Amino acid sequence: MRIHFNLNGKAIAVDAPVGTSALSLLRDYLGLKGTKEGCGIGECGACAIEVDGKAVNACLMFAAQLDGRTVLTVEGLETPSGLHPIQEAFRDHHAVQCGYCTPGLLMSTHALLAEKPHPDHDDINTAISGHLCRCTGYKNIVSAIEAAGKNPGGKN
Amino acid sequence: MTNHYKQVGHSIPKIGITERLTGAPVFSADINLRNPLILRVLRSRRHHARIRSIDTTAARTIDGVVAIFTAKDIPGKNAHGIINKDQPLLMGDKVRSLSDPVALVAAKTDTAARKALDRIKVDYDDLPAVFTPEDAMAPDAPAIHDKGNILFTRKIKRGDPETAFKACAVVVEKTYRTTRIEHAFLEPDAGAGYVDDDGTLVIFASTQNPHYDHQAVVSILGLEKDRVRIIQTATGGGFGSKLDLNVQGFIGLALYHLKQPVRMIYSREESFLATAKRHPLTMTLKTGADKQGRLIATRATIICDTGAYASYGIPVASRSAVHATGPYEIEHVDIESHCVYTNNPFSGAMRGFGTPQMAIAHESQMDLIAAQLDIDPLEIRKINALSVGSVTSTGQKLTASVGIGECLDRLGPYYEQARNEWLKEGDIPYRKKGIGIGGMWYGIGNTGTKNPSTAKIKLTPDGRLTLYTGAADIGQGSSTVLAQIAAEVLGITAESLHLVVADTQRTTSAGATSASRQTYISGNAVHIAATACASALIAEAAALLDLPASALVLSDGNVIEAAGSTRRVDFARLASRLLEKKKPLEWHGVFDPDTTALDPETGQGVPYATYAYAAQLVLLSVDTLTGEVFVEKVFAAHDVGKAIHPENVIGQICGGVVMGLGFALMEEYTPEETDSLKDYHVPTCADLPDIVPIIVEAPEPTGPFGAKGVGEPALIPTAPAVINALAHALGKRIYQLPASLEKVLAVSIETGHYGPKEA
Ligand code: FES
Ligand code: FES
Repeated sequence: MRIHFNLNGKAIAVDAPVGTSALSLLRDYLGLKGTKEGCGIGECGACAIEVDGKAVNACLMFAAQLDGRTVLTVEGLETPSGLHPIQEAFRDHHAVQCGYCTPGLLMSTHALLAEKPHPDHDDINTAISGHLCRCTGYKNIVSAIEAAGKNPGGKN
Repeated sequence: MTNHYKQVGHSIPKIGITERLTGAPVFSADINLRNPLILRVLRSRRHHARIRSIDTTAARTIDGVVAIFTAKDIPGKNAHGIINKDQPLLMGDKVRSLSDPVALVAAKTDTAARKALDRIKVDYDDLPAVFTPEDAMAPDAPAIHDKGNILFTRKIKRGDPETAFKACAVVVEKTYRTTRIEHAFLEPDAGAGYVDDDGTLVIFASTQNPHYDHQAVVSILGLEKDRVRIIQTATGGGFGSKLDLNVQGFIGLALYHLKQPVRMIYSREESFLATAKRHPLTMTLKTGADKQGRLIATRATIICDTGAYASYGIPVASRSAVHATGPYEIEHVDIESHCVYTNNPFSGAMRGFGTPQMAIAHESQMDLIAAQLDIDPLEIRKINALSVGSVTSTGQKLTASVGIGECLDRLGPYYEQARNEWLKEGDIPYRKKGIGIGGMWYGIGNTGTKNPSTAKIKLTPDGRLTLYTGAADIGQGSSTVLAQIAAEVLGITAESLHLVVADTQRTTSAGATSASRQTYISGNAVHIAATACASALIAEAAALLDLPASALVLSDGNVIEAAGSTRRVDFARLASRLLEKKKPLEWHGVFDPDTTALDPETGQGVPYATYAYAAQLVLLSVDTLTGEVFVEKVFAAHDVGKAIHPENVIGQICGGVVMGLGFALMEEYTPEETDSLKDYHVPTCADLPDIVPIIVEAPEPTGPFGAKGVGEPALIPTAPAVINALAHALGKRIYQLPASLEKVLAVSIETGHYGPKEA
């Protein structure tokens, strides 16, 4: 089965067997290891990617469902001038400990800010309610997202 | 307070942060290998049974299956375990719990590997099984291991509690129980490996203790030490579970026989089923106090269910006994802690080694005694808090860095405010508010045993410095902290220091990332190595500049005159001078905390060189109609000695508090029922209270820059504070964790809070 889609700004075509998950397509067929598997059943958010501007769990999607769509993964966040402002906010607010939950959270934050550039506390809670982080206790993650929302252009 | 340090005390960006933010392939499951074989393990799914035969013939015929190994394929000693080598890598004669591995499959695809698991036929004779320590200790109980079912007993005896109880104004005796808890780190166990050109088995693993993994794999395979190399990859949390040998042994066995790249990743379900759990503890405490609220005597009986294998059972039993008094001075003690085998999933290390369980008991006792004597809960803790000069239950005299009093003092204003204002604000129908305090102490490092760490600093001829440390950073930030310590001593920035971390071929052992020991113990080893390097550089510069060594300091890659003249010499120049003199450009540090073994009969001795202290205050409300608990605020005061990286300390506190809420209110592992993140609930951001971290620094004279540790202490006071707050809210105490919705609702009904109120 051949799937065509836009991945991190580039049109690509890739072959994968029917039944392949979007997560496996990214990791195993395209070699993009930034998207993580934490549970495989939609309970942890480690595999979140952005599809047509919405954050989704890649473990619950078939690769075939990506056909014709626009997909953003953590590998596509960085800009030519360096880290994306969201990544900077996560760094500056010490929102990363082990970092296994981080790529998924960055993608949900990206989708949130695209929809609501200045989210309030409830918006943030809703956006990350499907994500588990066992290290940070969420506090710094929420602060990082708040900061990214206040300052979408990043530093200065 | 001004910070005159340039590195220490500053929250620099964490080392390794960019890789994690950009999704670089740094975790074990991400490592790029050429066509790795996939490994899967067949697990017994029986509680206790003799293995009659294992037939792999049919499974071998499956397309894509490359090899299947059983116990007889293990070339060395088929046994692992950090202290007791009681856990076979693959079971030979019998299985003792549901997740016991019996066969290892290597296949070209995961599908083939999984099919093979279904086709392996194992013939078992079931044996009687026991699931409670009480049953396991009965005289006619089936023997789970040849040596019997009692693994270990720790006794601590001091003074004469029986006589002392008679003189007490109040004596409280209660039994407390905690349940099995899953670590639920976000990265399921994973590893990979290949065989190097020279025949070395190279194993990448998500681990907390690469040097232990190395020893274990070498022994299982019967190889020379230098034939195995363990490299810790980025590790997605561990919390104690990744101290055990999980995938490493299987990867080693497959590499040994097949000599081709392999990968092994546990599914989340397998990670639940097959890795250690927090020990369930049953704790009976009898505590007596005088009229003024001073604790006089305590008697504690502690039973730890270690499941089918010892893992860290002995340290848990030992540590829970030592910490049974809580951070309070009690003259007369009689403590016994037993660790018992059962056919339950094995229990091991989890953030705190029994201390979080113990704190539920000693902190509940404090509130019960306070209530009987009509003393304020904060006050009774202050009255009894350990201080410099106190003697602990093991007879250790505390000589410095005892911050529990200050932690309690720092909570004071919040506590007053909560009682006088918060409690009275906004009367919501069917809501009951409660305030609770939890205190704790925690010995840094292993209990009364040697637990050294080593480190090395190397200087290149062009003047660059490298720190070699075996300490596994599992997300808590040890690499950053160790780099800050070295950089401070060496007068450079942590960012400019090159790091080689947790690779058994390149670094010497730093011991386990456990027991909150890396900052204090490895931090000291690093400090010693860096100091030796700095002294050598200064001595060389002194000769060159013709100045006394005492007039020189290190700054920005130079040795300079402290007084601020322009006289300086850079590290490259010093390196070449040292080289000319044929001096080695590396310096080593070793540190082993000053402890003594505990006496087997009385438990007297010095189990730890230093202790961390903490107290937390929890404000919550209970919906008396549903049993739902809303934790609104947590004030968390932690004496860490010195915060080398304040934001890391805060990160540990916040993470610990939230994990503690899970322990208190929702988490309970039941094998085969809660083997997924759907069925086993951990806190989400919806459960996040307002957390106020308070860093207390009672400097530890033997610590690097005064530092102790915080990783485990962060979690310990939370659950007892919640339990105490619930008792305050409802007027009745819960003695068995978790305080789930059902249990809280039951208490609400019993106490008459449930149901319509009379007008
Ligand atoms: S891996 Fe997709 S939600 Fe957990
Ligand atoms: S940082 Fe480890 S799970 Fe979030």
